[in-house]
Amino acid sequence: MVVRKIATIGCFLFGVLMVAMTPHQVLGQTVTGEVIDAQSQETLPGVNIIVKGTSIGTSSDAEGGFSLKVPSLSDTLVFTFIGYQRLEVPLQGQSSLDVSLTPETIAGDEVVVIGYGAVQKSDLTGSVSSISAEEVTKVPTTNVAEALQGKVSGMDITRGSGEAGSGVNITVRGNRSLTASNSPLVIVDGIQYGGGLEDINPADIESIEVLKDASSTAIYGSRGANGVILISTKKAEAQGTQVSIESYAGISKTLDYPDFNTGPEYVTQKREANRVSGDWSGPEDDPNIFTSSELENIENNVWTNFRDLLFQTGIQQSHQINVSRGTENNSMYLSVNYFDEKGILEMDQLKRYTARLNVDQQVGEALTVGMNSQITYYDRDRRRDPTNIANKINPLTRAYDENGDLIVRPHSGRDISPLADTQPNAYENNTLTTKIFPTLYAELDFAENLSLRTNISATLSNSRQGIYRDSETIDRNGTAPEAVYNSSNSRNITFENILSYEGDWDQHSLALTGVTSYQFNKNDLGSALGQNQLLASQLYYGLLNATEGIAVESGYEESSLMSYAGRANYSFKDRYLLTLTGRFDGSSKLSEENRWAFFPSAAAAWRISEEDFIGDDSIVSNLKLRASYGVSGNDAISPYSTQSALRRIPFSYGEDSAPGFTFSPTLGNPNLEWEISKTANLGLDVGLLNDRVTATIDVYDTRTSNLLLDRFLPLSSGVSSVTQNVGKTRNRGIEFALETTNILKDDFSWTSNLTFFSNKEEIVELVSDGDDIGNGWFIGEPTSVFYDYEKTGIWQQDEADAAASFGQEPGEIKVRDQNGDGEITASDDRVILGSPRPKWSGGIENSINYKGFDLSVYVYARIGQMMDYEYYDNYKPGGVENGANVDYWTPDNPTNAFPRPNAALSQDNYQYYSTLSYESGSFVKIRNATLGYTLPPSLMESMPVRNIRLYVTGKNLYTFAKVDNYDPERGGALSFPMTRLFVTGINIDF
Amino acid sequence: MRRLLTVFVFCISSFLFVSSCDLTEYNPGGITSETVYTTPEGFESLVNAAYSYSRWWYGKEEGWAAGEMGTDLWTSGAGDENPNFTRYESLQPNANVVGVFWEQFYSAINLCNAGINRIGESGMSEELQTTRLAELRFLRAFYYWHIVEMWGGVHFTTDETEGIQVNANKSSVETFYNQIFEDLDFAVNNLPVTTSDIGRVTKPAAEAFLARMYLTRGMDQEAFNMADKVINDYSFGLVENYDDLWEMDNLRNEEVIWVVNYSEDLALNDQEDDILFPEGHGRGGHNGHLHFFMTYDQVSGMDRDIENGRPFNRYMPTQFLLDLYQDDIDSRYDGSFKSVWYSNAPSEVEGMAEGDTAIYATKYEVSEEFREDAVYTIYDRSDIYESDGSIVQRTKYPSLDKFADPTRPSISEMRSSRDAFVIRLAEMYLIAAEAQFNRGNNTEAANYINVIRERAAKPGNEAAMRVTAADIDLDFILDERARELAGEQLRWFDLKRTGTLLERTREYNPEAGANIQDHHVLRPIPQSQIDAVQNKDEFTQNAGYQ
Repeated sequence: MVVRKIATIGCFLFGVLMVAMTPHQVLGQTVTGEVIDAQSQETLPGVNIIVKGTSIGTSSDAEGGFSLKVPSLSDTLVFTFIGYQRLEVPLQGQSSLDVSLTPETIAGDEVVVIGYGAVQKSDLTGSVSSISAEEVTKVPTTNVAEALQGKVSGMDITRGSGEAGSGVNITVRGNRSLTASNSPLVIVDGIQYGGGLEDINPADIESIEVLKDASSTAIYGSRGANGVILISTKKAEAQGTQVSIESYAGISKTLDYPDFNTGPEYVTQKREANRVSGDWSGPEDDPNIFTSSELENIENNVWTNFRDLLFQTGIQQSHQINVSRGTENNSMYLSVNYFDEKGILEMDQLKRYTARLNVDQQVGEALTVGMNSQITYYDRDRRRDPTNIANKINPLTRAYDENGDLIVRPHSGRDISPLADTQPNAYENNTLTTKIFPTLYAELDFAENLSLRTNISATLSNSRQGIYRDSETIDRNGTAPEAVYNSSNSRNITFENILSYEGDWDQHSLALTGVTSYQFNKNDLGSALGQNQLLASQLYYGLLNATEGIAVESGYEESSLMSYAGRANYSFKDRYLLTLTGRFDGSSKLSEENRWAFFPSAAAAWRISEEDFIGDDSIVSNLKLRASYGVSGNDAISPYSTQSALRRIPFSYGEDSAPGFTFSPTLGNPNLEWEISKTANLGLDVGLLNDRVTATIDVYDTRTSNLLLDRFLPLSSGVSSVTQNVGKTRNRGIEFALETTNILKDDFSWTSNLTFFSNKEEIVELVSDGDDIGNGWFIGEPTSVFYDYEKTGIWQQDEADAAASFGQEPGEIKVRDQNGDGEITASDDRVILGSPRPKWSGGIENSINYKGFDLSVYVYARIGQMMDYEYYDNYKPGGVENGANVDYWTPDNPTNAFPRPNAALSQDNYQYYSTLSYESGSFVKIRNATLGYTLPPSLMESMPVRNIRLYVTGKNLYTFAKVDNYDPERGGALSFPMTRLFVTGINIDF
Repeated sequence: MRRLLTVFVFCISSFLFVSSCDLTEYNPGGITSETVYTTPEGFESLVNAAYSYSRWWYGKEEGWAAGEMGTDLWTSGAGDENPNFTRYESLQPNANVVGVFWEQFYSAINLCNAGINRIGESGMSEELQTTRLAELRFLRAFYYWHIVEMWGGVHFTTDETEGIQVNANKSSVETFYNQIFEDLDFAVNNLPVTTSDIGRVTKPAAEAFLARMYLTRGMDQEAFNMADKVINDYSFGLVENYDDLWEMDNLRNEEVIWVVNYSEDLALNDQEDDILFPEGHGRGGHNGHLHFFMTYDQVSGMDRDIENGRPFNRYMPTQFLLDLYQDDIDSRYDGSFKSVWYSNAPSEVEGMAEGDTAIYATKYEVSEEFREDAVYTIYDRSDIYESDGSIVQRTKYPSLDKFADPTRPSISEMRSSRDAFVIRLAEMYLIAAEAQFNRGNNTEAANYINVIRERAAKPGNEAAMRVTAADIDLDFILDERARELAGEQLRWFDLKRTGTLLERTREYNPEAGANIQDHHVLRPIPQSQIDAVQNKDEFTQNAGYQ
């Protein structure tokens, strides 16, 4: 409460302060001159020129010239222009001066976007990684995050699946929370983006910054606990009007898919399974185990590999036009993009249309207003995964009849064809989503070095999902057709005020930032369902025509967050840097008493290379030591977790509906408070040989406490779980990035880029004094582990006695008796076998430029994780369904891989069956290779074209892994396998 | 210009000032017990919900696993998903079945406790309050019976859970039964004799259940009186033809005393559904038609169809069960088991026509000559069982078809609208007989049993079916119960009540018998419960489980 009061009073004073500002203006001498680009020597129109310490200013005209009345010739002029370094020139009595501005992209002096501002890279105190536009668009991606895979040390990124428009899993520096979200915060042009990264057109991105340590993220308070991804979209460049066209198109194919039994292999396994169960002793017993039609197909060698019929060649294309224009007082960037990803399964397609308009307008001398806006529209068709049916269907059938029509129900009606969903009017699952993301801002430079910026931003999202599943589809499998209509409408509004001050005196410089922020998120949901409608052709557009099972539901959800933040950046002699940050956050999702919390942080850096003892001729061109410590919070749980609700149960007496309401299994917890992470970070930046070699190394230690945990309760209380602040985790890690320019000549250059990241994630404390087996949480282990018996092989015939002592027989799965007590028990003999978390990951990229050609090859590795490989789980020992083509035990094949088939047992009856599927998930892959050619400028002179680049890119070219025919990045699942993509593209700049 | 801007800045700052007050959560879609259970309509919804938990046991796979399996009558089909119950293969505290019931029954208890304690605030009329209270007390007794029989003296309370509760108590079995009898007395005295709401409990239903409870606790005189009262005081009667008991168009017959209701409108049933019932059961409806059928559709001449059902092949009868029936005189063998499948895909077999016999599964031996003459596929005694009753194969066998439902709309539909019979009149005769036998009145016991057996007799065999006092012993009563009630989710309780679970399972079920241990008369407490309680020293696992 006190905190809130202080915050409110602070806010009020802030308003009063604004009113107290009074303008002043004095006129004197006139200064004239010209502004040029320091590199190209071309004139620069539209450069802002201000008399330092006043609000007097102008901007350069179309030829780069300017004329400005100044109070005195002893004043200093400040030149600023987007994309260029700020320059201050003391007049020292001159009334005429020519100025050259240096573009910002020179290494070592990059401007890095940080929360609510930007700093010179050299002034950074925290751990921040930057990725340029070029890097972002180098590989064709649906989701920008894929472009970051392996490029940012400290981030673990995997693509969800090979489905068109598939999501991406991102964590920054490991998982801290067991229940609450671990996803990083996404900020676009300074504002939290309420949608997903996939909404953002990669070609619109100017740069991406990833804030990792607590000091960098502290200004975002609770929202920054999982790291922050800052995306800056493009603005007009300096000169006049530019038009660019970027297009690519290409094909995707499945990487190899693991083998399932062919017809003859299936027959062999089924016979063996029935031999064991006593139903088969030779081909004369075939009629006991195969139907007559199967027998006929065996005889004629008729069988189908359904999987081959499922996969097609996917197509991916993207076409973009952007126009940008900068003038004296305004800059404008406009782009439209069409992206189309057709998956490797029919009916799996994502179309995305994006448009962006960024406008900045100088109004008068001190005020800039602008709007960054984005519209994203999706038209997405999804397919119910058919591979599980294709993998298990008995192959002894034809897929098509003699007329070439699909046999929807093969095996005399027992099965459904995996291709059933592709029949006309059988299946549709279409989602239309519109996301509008306007950000308006006004920035007022109302006093010396003091500016106020107000942002108002919205993420408005509307979507509807329509699903129709006919009777003969995989999902319905002969039951009544069903149509579903889901809609959602969400509003995510952010309102922020940022007050900034920058001041220099002597060798000191100080930047202060104050932020107030309020944001809310409201979401309406509607769902309707109906079964057995009159006409299939109505799809999901006539639910009232359903004859049964009509159901409707609607819902609402909201949450809000209010914040007050401040930051001070202080530097002394350009080499001793200090950042102090603090933020108050108030979250509606937490209890009223514990709603507000303060998240402070401090960081310091020492630019050793600026010290006198490192001479200018030293091989060390940059050396900076950084240290930071900070606290951040997490409230990423569902709204209303503090409330106990009722839930509905459908019920009836006879045919009379009599719905019930009972207690929800999740108990509300009125005492919820913030989950707290405290991170210490130590970093070193090194530049050698005039920054031809640069390296960054960071080590960190994050301790998270008050974990927001869905805790299981004794079910005897009638409720099953509650979200509670209990438990602790710890993440420690090391990040390393190295960039070298190996060769640098006029027409030949070779650069290498290496990243390495290793994180140790562990649970430190749980509410259950020790391990929580029920939840799979173990002290000292990562938040997700595989806990099971340890398979050591298969009982062999010469081990029959030993097997019998465990109640087993040769051919069955052998597991380790961990405590050696002669029996296998759940309590004593299950151990932690591994974790899906990698031990380390990293990437290495080599780029070579020769004349107009450029070649880059990127290799990515993710090592040490274990996966639950679904393929092994698809060994079907009973022989009823088809299954994985594995090395199974028979008396003649004493393998230790898979147990003996037995038709008398279902998969579930096999003891220790689950132990079969744990497998190393480590992989190294050639993530992408790109070869490009830029036409020589001499060719362009006669054309209205500035630049043309042609390229070919291959993505996921080859994967090295322990398992064959499978890309472990998929994580073990068999549906929607990962794809290999080849595209060709062209970029034209006018 | 400047002034305007400053005003603008002031305004937005002021807006912020105002909005800073607003972090309260607005939740129009959510509802709480305070708002719902304090209105008459809302309280009705509590009572409805209290009934609904019975659907987790009756008509569900888990209910058969816990109520019938691991006894003398059944063993695993090839599709059995709970061999830990069927054959006591490694029955552990992490067993799915115990987890389901522990969660659902204690949720039900908590809701009943809430309703019983809050009914005064419901705003209902006094009269209606009394009826609903009686229903809730019946249901509490009903759920506590399942709990105490499965797990013995575990957690007991008559209070609604308030706040985070991390401890559980261990109460004596007597505590449970004292409450059960107290609740049932109230129910018997305050429930109406009939109801138009099918599935609601009535006075005779409460009396019938009370008779079962008396018998369970060895109160034989009371058990007899109560059973006899239900037999005589109301208009219940035995369905003339045993087979007709199970017809889908005869579900609301005179023999039924209490059912767990399932609707033809499947949306009113309990299947898990994103919109209708996110926490629902994975299958919903009555599932008995799925579990007991053999895989007839893998035999030549047969395709899967609605008539013959969707065979999950979970459970098969023991040889002992099949041998209990004298099927030449007792109609209950054919009334309970399907032995013949008629071809619906004759083209697969040369010489077979539509409707001809395609499969014959029998408990008798078939001669080689007979086999050679038959066009159809035969599974005879030795194709199914070894001489000691162990299993030759688990996919083809005479299949319990009491729960078949040819009225389902499609082959694949798992949700049958069949009501689950929880108590039917035949059980009252068996209770009366057992109570009389326990009191030494074998003649009386035979009289009651003969009512059941005469109904079961094939026409003209009534006399042959009759038994005398000399025939009556405990084994005979249990055998008779098996013949009458096989598959009706009672067997495990019957054997436990009579103290014969271990002995009969060992004697008649070679598979379950080989594994059953003394401690199996209680089920393991779910590991999640053991892990979650904080008073771990006090709330311990049942003996014999780890």
